[in-house]
Amino acid sequence: MHLEKLENGLDSFSFTELKSNEASKLKKSFESFKNGLEEKVFGLPSDPIALPENTDAIATATPRERALVAEVSHEIRTPLNGIIGFLDLLKETSLTQEQMKLTTAMDAASKNLLELINEILEFSKLASGQEKFECVPFNIFNLVNEIAFLSKTLINEKEVQFHLNFDNNIPSILLGDPSKLSQVLLNLTGNAVKFVEKGEIRLAVNLKEINNKRAFLEFVISDTGIGIASEELKSIFDTYRQTATANAINYGGSGLGLSIVKEIIDKQNGCIAVSSALGTGTTFNVILPFKRTQISKTESGKDTPTTANPILKDKNILVVEDDPITQRLMETRLRQWGGHSYITDNAFEAIRLLEKERIDLVLLDMRLPAWDGMEIAEKIRKTFPPEVLPIIALSADVQRYENWANQKTLINDFILKPYTSEELAKKMQENIKKTIPRQDKQPATISAQKDIPSDTLVNLGPIFKECLGQKALLEELLRLFEQNILEFVGKTKMHLQSRNFQGIGFAAHKIKASLKMLRVHSLLQITEEIAAECKGNGNYDRINTLFEAFLTAYPKVEIAITREASRIKNQ
Amino acid sequence: MAERVLLLAEDDQMLASLLQYRLEREGYKVIMTYDGRAVKESLQSALPDLIVCDIMMPYLSGIELVDFVRNELNSDIPIILISSASNDENIISAFEMGANDFVAKPMSPSELLVRISREIKRHYCS
Repeated sequence: MHLEKLENGLDSFSFTELKSNEASKLKKSFESFKNGLEEKVFGLPSDPIALPENTDAIATATPRERALVAEVSHEIRTPLNGIIGFLDLLKETSLTQEQMKLTTAMDAASKNLLELINEILEFSKLASGQEKFECVPFNIFNLVNEIAFLSKTLINEKEVQFHLNFDNNIPSILLGDPSKLSQVLLNLTGNAVKFVEKGEIRLAVNLKEINNKRAFLEFVISDTGIGIASEELKSIFDTYRQTATANAINYGGSGLGLSIVKEIIDKQNGCIAVSSALGTGTTFNVILPFKRTQISKTESGKDTPTTANPILKDKNILVVEDDPITQRLMETRLRQWGGHSYITDNAFEAIRLLEKERIDLVLLDMRLPAWDGMEIAEKIRKTFPPEVLPIIALSADVQRYENWANQKTLINDFILKPYTSEELAKKMQENIKKTIPRQDKQPATISAQKDIPSDTLVNLGPIFKECLGQKALLEELLRLFEQNILEFVGKTKMHLQSRNFQGIGFAAHKIKASLKMLRVHSLLQITEEIAAECKGNGNYDRINTLFEAFLTAYPKVEIAITREASRIKNQ
Repeated sequence: MAERVLLLAEDDQMLASLLQYRLEREGYKVIMTYDGRAVKESLQSALPDLIVCDIMMPYLSGIELVDFVRNELNSDIPIILISSASNDENIISAFEMGANDFVAKPMSPSELLVRISREIKRHYCS
């Protein structure tokens, strides 16, 4: 009842009449709404330090109460999504600096609230047994690598090294719930990244035990971070607990993350343990059983589209998605497959991009903060028929998947989350194949596109000429080039650690020649800057940033080289 | 004409492979070395007809190599250095020590071939 009122009120709300003092009031009421909501759901004051010992409201609730929590959380999400969406629109109008500041604060507060609600919803689903676990074959090695990659991208500016140890005795294909496993690992590595300012994070995956039916894997996530005091360690997996108030302020989060992790692990008959010492670091040990499969090893080999395989060569893909981690993952995958990605979480921006760029396919997340996926699909279909522009919907909602049969004029295909990269690749390929080539000959504009088209990334013409047309020699040289790059990366990483700038300078200087031979100007420029920076006293941060830029740019170059080489080979 | 023996000292394997192919195709016998220690060992066991050496090598700079050949081995065999734009000063010192010629990276193997055959003619055929 109240929710409906709130929702109606929001619908008729006019932001153009909003004065800055009113915006400020609105922000305050949002905050008290958030606090009130927290109190309502948990029955707790919002200051966690004043908590009585045993008030895990959700954990001790009856199944019916949990179901109610799940339902209420879901109901709250709808108007809140409205608020966030309208805030986005408000930010695009002409605002004074003061108003901008206030709206940004409101935006942050409402996103925090949304995150909190999502976590409550997820936790209560798990606790009440509504959440279903998948049992599908997945490639554990690829999954762990993806987690390592994502964790590294989270580190940003900090002096933190991420190490991955993967036990080679682990069967490459296992049966289980890959998306839940990713969630657990990302949560733990994400926490580590949050709490380590300088030092290292290690993710080790070991084969604990194996028989014909099952493999027991141990995941060890250790960091050299601030650590957790022993009295707090006891209650770390309890519902709604974040160590001391100070952490909540510094690091954010609802405090439900670890409870969710524990719940996911418990539900799969696994176990999690933690050990920590203040100032030394924290180690999480997770043991999870996975079923084994008969699928032979070869199927998981390098031919899967997860590795650099340009199945989307030169295709422009529009990704409509709001979750930053999924955005990053999509971007990486599409790039690995040779495609260009345009990413947005805004329906208007999506339409604008479709009008401006030659998009070949749309990946549409059905649940965005401000829009329903169907609404966006309807908007797109006003201009682009399904034969010309395929839309693939992504959703975890089984109901939606079932309804999709009636909506095939809007949505060409549907991928039910969680999905594997292979599945995504396959569906994208199939749908692109089916499309009718568009009539307009207008070339895709590059301006809005961050990626440099890969053809200009590298020019193998000159070196092929020097090889006097020997294709085998060219191949050999390209292999050596890759080796040189790996050597450069390895040496630079090592020298960065010991701050041996002279060593980095030498390595950079050496790789320059190879880059020049293949005309890889983008990397050459970065390398020259690294070499120049090492000549002086050497600014660690600057060199590190440049090196990161090199690492980010290289995969694109690698794809371009492979493409060029195969073009030459087929001449 | 007897087969000319070249010592190629280049630690960048990619460039080295390309040069090896081009030099052997021209009829030279090529001894490959990838670092300064190997260069010295090779020179101490037998002298080639000409040395092509990267100016920046692990364990031995081009200047040290020229110094080693001219002053310790007392040999005047032609030495061609491969340099890159950033070591102008080193090139000058190398010439002062007795290097014969140089090519700059990014290098054209064809240019290097011309310079090699010119040095060989100058040194052995006049």
